[in-house]
Amino acid sequence: MSNELLKQEIERAMDNAPLQRALKNFTTAYPGNRANVYKGYDFEALREKVHEVKSYARDHIDELLDEFEKNATANGAHVFRAHTPQEAFDYALKLAKENNVKLVVKSKSMASEEMHFNQGFEAAGIHAQETDLGEFINAIAGDSPSHMVMPAIHYSKEDVAGLFSSYTKAPEAPIITEEVKTSRRVMRPKFFQAEMGVSGANAAVAETGTVITMTNEGNGRMVGTMPNMHLYIFGIEKFVAKMSDIRYIFKVLPRNGTAQNITTYLSFYTGATNVVTDPENDTKEPKQFNIIILDTPERRQIMQDPDYQDIFCCIRCAACLNVCPAFRLVGGHVYGGSIYTGGIGTLLTSFLNSRERGKDIQNICLQCGTCNTVCGGKLDVAGMILKLRTKYAQEDGLNPIHKFCLDTVSDRHLFHSMLRIASVAQGTLAQGTLTQGQPMLRHMPMFLSGLTAGRSLPTVAPQPFRDVLPAIKQDVPNPKGKIAIFAGCLLDFVYVDIATAVVKALNMAGYIVEMPLDQSCCGAPATYMGDVENAKKAAEMNINAMDAEHYDFIVSACPTCTHALRDYKDMFKDDPDMYKKATELGAKSYDFSKLLSMLGGLPDNADGVPMKVTYHDSCHLKRYMGVFEEQRELLEQTSGVEITEMNNCDKCCGFGGSYSVKFPEMSAPILEEKIDNIVATGADVVAVDCPGCLLQIKGGLDARGLNNIQVKHTAQILVEKREK
Amino acid sequence: MEKAELYEMFQKGLASVAGECCLASKADLAAVLVEIFRKKDTQEVAIVESPLLKDTGVVSALKAAGIKTDTDYIRKNAPDDKGGVTEADYGIANLGSLVQMKDNVDDRIVETVADVYVGIVKLSKIVDTFDTMIDIMAETKPFPKFAGIITGPSRTADIECVGTVGVHGPRQYSVVVVKDA
Repeated sequence: MSNELLKQEIERAMDNAPLQRALKNFTTAYPGNRANVYKGYDFEALREKVHEVKSYARDHIDELLDEFEKNATANGAHVFRAHTPQEAFDYALKLAKENNVKLVVKSKSMASEEMHFNQGFEAAGIHAQETDLGEFINAIAGDSPSHMVMPAIHYSKEDVAGLFSSYTKAPEAPIITEEVKTSRRVMRPKFFQAEMGVSGANAAVAETGTVITMTNEGNGRMVGTMPNMHLYIFGIEKFVAKMSDIRYIFKVLPRNGTAQNITTYLSFYTGATNVVTDPENDTKEPKQFNIIILDTPERRQIMQDPDYQDIFCCIRCAACLNVCPAFRLVGGHVYGGSIYTGGIGTLLTSFLNSRERGKDIQNICLQCGTCNTVCGGKLDVAGMILKLRTKYAQEDGLNPIHKFCLDTVSDRHLFHSMLRIASVAQGTLAQGTLTQGQPMLRHMPMFLSGLTAGRSLPTVAPQPFRDVLPAIKQDVPNPKGKIAIFAGCLLDFVYVDIATAVVKALNMAGYIVEMPLDQSCCGAPATYMGDVENAKKAAEMNINAMDAEHYDFIVSACPTCTHALRDYKDMFKDDPDMYKKATELGAKSYDFSKLLSMLGGLPDNADGVPMKVTYHDSCHLKRYMGVFEEQRELLEQTSGVEITEMNNCDKCCGFGGSYSVKFPEMSAPILEEKIDNIVATGADVVAVDCPGCLLQIKGGLDARGLNNIQVKHTAQILVEKREK
Repeated sequence: MEKAELYEMFQKGLASVAGECCLASKADLAAVLVEIFRKKDTQEVAIVESPLLKDTGVVSALKAAGIKTDTDYIRKNAPDDKGGVTEADYGIANLGSLVQMKDNVDDRIVETVADVYVGIVKLSKIVDTFDTMIDIMAETKPFPKFAGIITGPSRTADIECVGTVGVHGPRQYSVVVVKDA
């Protein structure tokens, strides 16, 4: 699939009004509903335990498989371990044929979808009936799920009425309660007629040989109660060792998935339970209970790879989808697989279903890290997607244009020379478009036009910060120490005012600031595009340039750069010398607000003039470095500043570095929502700590003619309020 | 935890999922059931008779009230009966859940096919939290072939994410907590 096709699918999804409405309604309500059901629970502790019990199962999987099989078999189950989806399918079909099955009723089993169960059974003349309402709707439409928990979220009630009318050949009103009744009426006789029921497991307990399913509609219970044959299909990732372990999974799963304390039905099957084999004579006999465990090489590969083995800890709660800004825009179909979607879907699709599709869809991850904050299994979903991006870049090579750009950025002399040339050449494009004193680019020509979709761009400063710094008079009597500033590309060449404010604020705190001149781009653009080679080149250059041992601290006013500086050491685990230097650099590197807060903040000698501020949290600063209180405290300790929080203050602004260049069609609506939230506060100033967010938000406000709202870095506000 | 407090918690938990709950003495149980089914316009009821339901004369009371009852051939009869009654082995107070810990297919059929379902649970069998219930399950050896937790009427939000009660399972869901000992 080409990038162009992916973009077409994105466009289609964004033009689908019912999908957009449902996604917006659900994802808007989800965070509050989720927070309500976690009241009185320690989510962090719970997911830590989920991670612990699932990791244990992963690390002891062979023992647990044997134990499960022994216990389930002792209770009358037949267990089959399938090493390929085809093997699993063949076994299931053989069972059905041997028992003269004509109709199968299914409750949700994602593993059965991996083997294209329904299509295969239909081809063999056996009707496989999906009984879950959402799956039933998709089956009538010949469609695939767009959400792991709400599979038909992309259909409106009007769509459903049309589909049901075509299925029942009777008129159906577009009224949800009536449609639900139709589903009940249509499905009820099928539960009684079916010779075979198929279920998926949410967990399997080795010590008892129990399979457990969580459902809401009652179809799962019907499927396990009525037919004489019952087939469970699930992957090895569903195992836990002990019955006691399941408490963590079933506390997190419903709360994370659908914001429920518990679903309506939680059913435990331990071997062959009784069924009524002859209703006329009320004959009760143990059912034919079969279990297919998917134990595929792909699953084993995930479990053995230290970079991805935590995927095993996923409990398929879909919380990572529910909070993902990209998923919110496009829904599940763009993720391509008909099974797994969203953040975790990107990983599972890559490993279990389609490498090619996985390679495409990993690109739509913003790396905002929100998924990680809600993940029920405590997975580093965003981190694993980044590793996947790197893996694809290494295996297949980068897009040549991207590679050329990254090669250029990693060559400091070339890159800086180009920026200096750009500061002159951009003149024509930016003529007469001053915003808050800074020229803006509102329209880019030809193929660059997407860059200014929904936002304007700042121009390169006439003089870089490295040339400006020597002229700044640092009047610091009895300095407490010396700090090196890491300016990064945006502060050095675009937002010179922010870098200047950082110097002045640190001077006020009693520190002298120097700028080691051999520094260059932090390497984050390369890292986030999977270009390890250029990322390491940048790291090496900056570790040597910053000369950390000669400074008390290293300050950066860009959280992405700070994050990069702090993580450089991970690239040099095999080089003790560089590792030592990188460790020192990382340990001394802080983002501006964090550092200033550590240094005791600034005296409260601000002008006291009222300034209504709303604060936007950068993804990197809040979620990757845990800094969100310090900057608010610094601002609140500045007389005159009054903070009014906006809705979703920590939701990504859509910048995402190169993301806004690669996917302007997705970045723009994310920005749109951010702007709406800002405007709703009535604030005069948006405070940020990230120049990337500043670029994005300022550009968005400018493009909408909202230049009455200023966007400033925290450092600028702190200094301006004290200089007046 | 005091029994009254447990009941209150159970009632609150069940109410939060659109279930109804009342407390009854053993002596009142039959009359309470008659009243519930009358209110819900239910003329036929499938009942899985537990010792408690037998001792309290539920079936004869329902019959006396003109309500048809089925106590056997459940698989054959229950799908045509609007109402259903079973006794649960446990209750979970903080969730308003009922728990079965035995392989009785009749229980499972009634609990799933009834449109108007009434669950019975002894007050002494209500535990405080899900954790306590899982502790009990973990200590139950051998583990029963079937165990199930049910919390309120069946529901879905599969169309436009709008929460709707009653899909394949009961649409009206009540619990009578019986004061025992």
